[in-house]
Order: sequence, then structure tokens, then C-alpha cells
Amino acid sequence: MKFTTITRWEFKETLKSKKFLIIFCLQLSMLFLMIFVFNAFAANIQSDNGVSLTPSLSGFASLDIDDQGHLFTKYINPSLINIQSSNYNTALQNLNNGEITGFVQVPADSLNSIKNIDTINVKLYLDYSDPKRSVISDEVNSTTNILATSISNSWIDSLIPQNTTQIVVNQQSTGQSLQIQLLTNAMLAILLFLPLFFFGNLIIDSVVGEKEKKTGEILMAMPISPSQIILGKILAVEAIIALQIVLWMIILITMGFKFANPILIYILVTITALPIIGVTTIISAYSKNYKEAGIGITLSYIAVVGVLIIPALTYLSVKPLAANISPMTMVMRILSGETIPFWQYFIPIAFILLVSIITYWISIKLFERDDIFFGPRPGLIRLFLELISFKKIKKIR
Amino acid sequence: MYSNDFIIKIDSLNKSFGKIKALDNLNLEIKRGELLGIIGPNGAGKTTAIRITSCILQPDSGNVLVDDMSIHRDQIKIKSMIGYLPEEPNLYERFKARDLLRYFAELYGVPKNRIDDRINELLKLVNMSNRADDRINTFSKGLRQRIGIARALIHDPKIIIFDEPTMGLDPATAHNIREFIRGLKGEKTIILCTHYMDEADSLCDRVAILNQGKIIDMGTPEYLKSKIHGDIILELKVENPNNIDANLIKDFDSVEDVYIKGKLFIISLKSKNDIKSIINVFNNDILSVNTKEPTLEDVFIHTIK
Repeated sequence: MKFTTITRWEFKETLKSKKFLIIFCLQLSMLFLMIFVFNAFAANIQSDNGVSLTPSLSGFASLDIDDQGHLFTKYINPSLINIQSSNYNTALQNLNNGEITGFVQVPADSLNSIKNIDTINVKLYLDYSDPKRSVISDEVNSTTNILATSISNSWIDSLIPQNTTQIVVNQQSTGQSLQIQLLTNAMLAILLFLPLFFFGNLIIDSVVGEKEKKTGEILMAMPISPSQIILGKILAVEAIIALQIVLWMIILITMGFKFANPILIYILVTITALPIIGVTTIISAYSKNYKEAGIGITLSYIAVVGVLIIPALTYLSVKPLAANISPMTMVMRILSGETIPFWQYFIPIAFILLVSIITYWISIKLFERDDIFFGPRPGLIRLFLELISFKKIKKIR
Repeated sequence: MYSNDFIIKIDSLNKSFGKIKALDNLNLEIKRGELLGIIGPNGAGKTTAIRITSCILQPDSGNVLVDDMSIHRDQIKIKSMIGYLPEEPNLYERFKARDLLRYFAELYGVPKNRIDDRINELLKLVNMSNRADDRINTFSKGLRQRIGIARALIHDPKIIIFDEPTMGLDPATAHNIREFIRGLKGEKTIILCTHYMDEADSLCDRVAILNQGKIIDMGTPEYLKSKIHGDIILELKVENPNNIDANLIKDFDSVEDVYIKGKLFIISLKSKNDIKSIINVFNNDILSVNTKEPTLEDVFIHTIK
């Protein structure tokens, strides 16, 4: 269990390092800056001169409407929601079949009700298994508000002083507008996963630094196996990331962001660091120097970001089960308040563990080779063939 | 059966780096408590041999037995027995000296209740007690080397391997480190790789001369020096060595060997009888003349030429 000695010392010395503290403070500054920019952007959207954030979200969610008086339909934003006229029975069947996310029923005599200064009861039916339901809900609420304001304004203009009866529009709830909610969830998920990509330099310093500073030779002479050395270093970085994410989440909560299940989100984000550290360690173990490792990590992180984000965005639109492979999908689902079946949590966790095991196995195999550490370094093709052949590679230390 | 007299037995060791053969069927045995020097030119395979013995490198073929344990099976146990000081004293710069020693003590598995005493003892031994709480990056090369030695000894190893311990140090620091190594003599088994012949001559019980991955000669410094044959070495520095016919010198009865190193003629003689006549061969071309007894450097030059 000597890897714990390496973990403890690496963790302690990293936290004491001025270089780390500077990087850490810069990261926090960046977080504050991003929150500031986000808030400014959101305020701009909410203003009358707001910009459309979602030009590509046409038909994002489907909504059936039973609105014979066409009172409500014209106020729904058609660039976001695919609206179709329907009746109660058909709409409920569509809801059951998962073809639509929601159904709005506006009373047929709504125009008369307005004229008679009477209440209009608008009913909204939602598919609660669909994460897009909050989008529909918010849009309907927003439309109801617009409608109520519009009717009230016309009344105010025409009212005789003694006739002050007001129309009442029932609302389920009021929340952020669709754009803001989408942006908030996406922004939150990105902000939560962001720290995972800040620690590549720590791993490079920990692994490549042993080569560049030539301290690796004395570490190799210690009575500890290469697998324990790698494990010790990886756990130290994981511990630092876990600490960073805690601080990150505290700051976000303090700044007004809301998390449905913060502990679950924390666990998911923290374990997502494991395969990312694994990939970074492979590159660091193979690289000769900081420069080479830096290039390798930049390229690999582009792929890692793709693996995280693409399934999450895919889930928002078509909900394939496979999209849950990305822990970011799961976090976005949790953030949207969706009820997630317990077994579905195993999909991203299994993926994370599988990738972690593979990447750590490769890292250890590379670290065991003296030709990589002391040269001449073998080519990637030769290494790959040796790794996939599973033949016993000469253990070096 | 493996002899108990030998704590290290290197058996038919081969190691190549790409096309370069660093070790070529190397065989070597080291006695318990012995201080063995390994000398050789750059690239002779000295560092490779000790890295393999320390289980840092894996040989292409062959084996090393350390206290009856094979480097192929018992790497962790062997590493626990060895204190290794590499050529460059590269230490973790951000650590304080005391923390560095504590870190390695923990990695070597030194019992926790003994770590503080052991650190203080070693800091005193290398005369660094007053710098114990300073960071490594504030140390000169000599101080780093001293801390490096303390690090190598932190677990009180049976075997200590020093790779060029005095390389690049000022004469006073180098002298201190030599005296320190001399103090360990007899108590520990020590392998000392060095370029400095006088260091090997004065410290080592036996010296192995390594060249192109092979041991080309080995013995006590006295034995090796006696193999130079002559009792006297005549060194003549000349203005223009190309004007001198070395065969004329070899014709003298007392001359055993002639070696030319730049402008320097190194001549091994059995007696002083022909010195005057030899000098005459050089006419007025001589810049300086010197006579001395053979040193290990003469042996080294003679052996690897």
C-alpha cells in the first residue's frame, strides 16, 4: 500500500506549491468571469431587445393544442415548439405513445369568456418522463403571461371606471423563459465538468516531470512497483480535482445556481475525472517532455469533450438510451429534475469504470518499460501491436 | 551453488539500446563488505550495469543475483537492500531537505518511530543539520550531493551504489565525500563508478575496468598497476610528436611499452638505465620530462587503448 505514501505527499506538496495556487486562483477567476458573462447574456435575452439563442432548436419539442378559438396558439413560439392542433382524446393518446411532450386545452368559449370578463381555465398535460417537459411548461407559462398582459392592457384602455372586474388566467407556475432554462442547464453542466480539464498540467508535472527533471531514476530505485507509483500519482490528482469540484459547486450555489441533487451530481462529476486522468497519464507516460505531452493532451481533450457533450445534446433532442453513456447526459437529466430509473445510473458509471481500467492498464504498461523512460523510445505502432497482442512485455522494474 | 562470499553476482548480462550494445556478456562478482570500483570511458556501460543491478533497467538477457535473489523475481526485495545515488543528484526541488528524507524513508518502509532519529543522524553525518529546513532548490550541487547521499542511506541499506559521486564538485567537497565513503568501507558493500582514477585508487578494494560493455581487467589497484610491467613511467612532452619515431624508443632494452597521448609520450621502463639515451632520441624537441611510478590512470589508458 505504498502508493498511499505517494498520494499523500503529492497531494500535500501540490497544495503547498505556489504554481498550483496561482493556477487555482486563475481558475476561480475564470469561473466568476463566466458567471458574470452568463448573467449579462441572460439579462440581454430577457430584455425587449433580446436575441434569439436557439435558432437551431426548431421543432425541439412537440405540443398538441386544442384551441378552437385560436386565442392561445398564435402566442406560442413556433420556432421552438412543434405545434399541432388536436383534440383531447387524440392528444392523450399521443402523450401515451411518447409522440408529444405536452397538450394544452383551451376552452372553446374562451373568446366569450373574455368578452364577459370571465375566468379562462387553460389546462396543460405533460409527459413527466420526458426531460423536455420543463421546456413546454415554461413556454406555456410564458405564453399565458403574455396573453394575460395583452388582455389586461386592452381592458385598461377600454374600461369604464366603475367596471373593474379583472380576468383571471390560471397558471401552473412561473419560471425562467425557455431560452434561459436551456442555457442554465447547459451552462451548469459545462461549468461542473470544466475543472476536469484544468488538471492536465498536474499530471504532466507529476509524470513527465519525473523524466524532464530526472527525478524518476531515484523513484524507480524505490521498493515500489510502477503500478503503485502510477496509482499513487493518479489518486493525488483525483483528490485535488475532488476538492476543486466541491469549491466550484459551493461557488455556483452561492451565486444562485440551483442543483436538484448536489451530492449525486458531485459523485458523477468526480468519478468522470478518473478516465480523463487515465487518458492524460497514458500521454504523459509516453511523452518525452512537457511540450510533447501538452500537444497530446490538447488533442485528446478535444475528443474527450466530444464524448461528454455530443451524447448530452443528442439526449435533449431524441432521447436515445445510449446517450446516457456520457455522465454529462446524466447530470443534465438530474439538473432538469427528471425522475431517472435507478438502473440507468449504471450506464455512465460502467462506461467510466471500463475506460478507467483500460487507460490505467495502458499507463502502467507504458510506465513499466525502460525504453520509454530511458530511450530509445519505441514507435506508437510497435507499442500498439505489443499491447493488443497481450504478450508479456518485459517488465522493467 | 551460489557462494555466500559474494553478495552480488552478475551473470552473462547483455543490454542494448537500439543498435548500441551497452553490455556485452558482462560477468562480475562482488564480495560482502567490499568496495568495488568500476572505471571505464564514457559509454563503457558502467551506469547501465548498476541500473540493472538496482532493478531500474531490465537486461535483454542474463541475470544478477543480489544476496541470492534474482532481479527477475525479487525486484522489490532487492531494491530494499540497495541505496542508489545516481550520477546527477536530481532531487525534488520544491521539497525541504528534511521532508525529502522523510518521503523516501516512508517509501523505503523505515518504521515511523525511527524516521526522525534516522534523518537527524544522517543530516549530521553529511554535515547538513543547519540546512535541514531549507528547500532543495536553494542548495549548491555539493549540498545536493550530500542530501542525495543521505537519501541513499536513509534505510540503512546493505549495498550502496554510487554513480560518479564526486563528478563536478569542487576539490574540498569531493574530498569530504570521499572521506565519507571511506568511512562506510567495510560496513557496507559499495559499488563506486567513477572517472577519477585517484579516487578509485585510494578508496577501492578492487577495481574493474569496463570498456564496450565488458570487463577487460579487474583486481586490486596494486595488482592492476603491477600489470603495467614497468617500475618507472617516463613522460615526455614534445613540441612536435610527428617528428619522433616511436620504434626507435621501443628498441631500448629497458622499454616495455610506449603510449602516445597528444604531445605526451608515456614510456614504461623496467629500469632507469636508458632514460638519458631515450631523451636523446627526442633531440631538442622536448618541452618537459617527468618520471613517476605507475598509477591507475596509466593502467586505464594502457588497458583501453
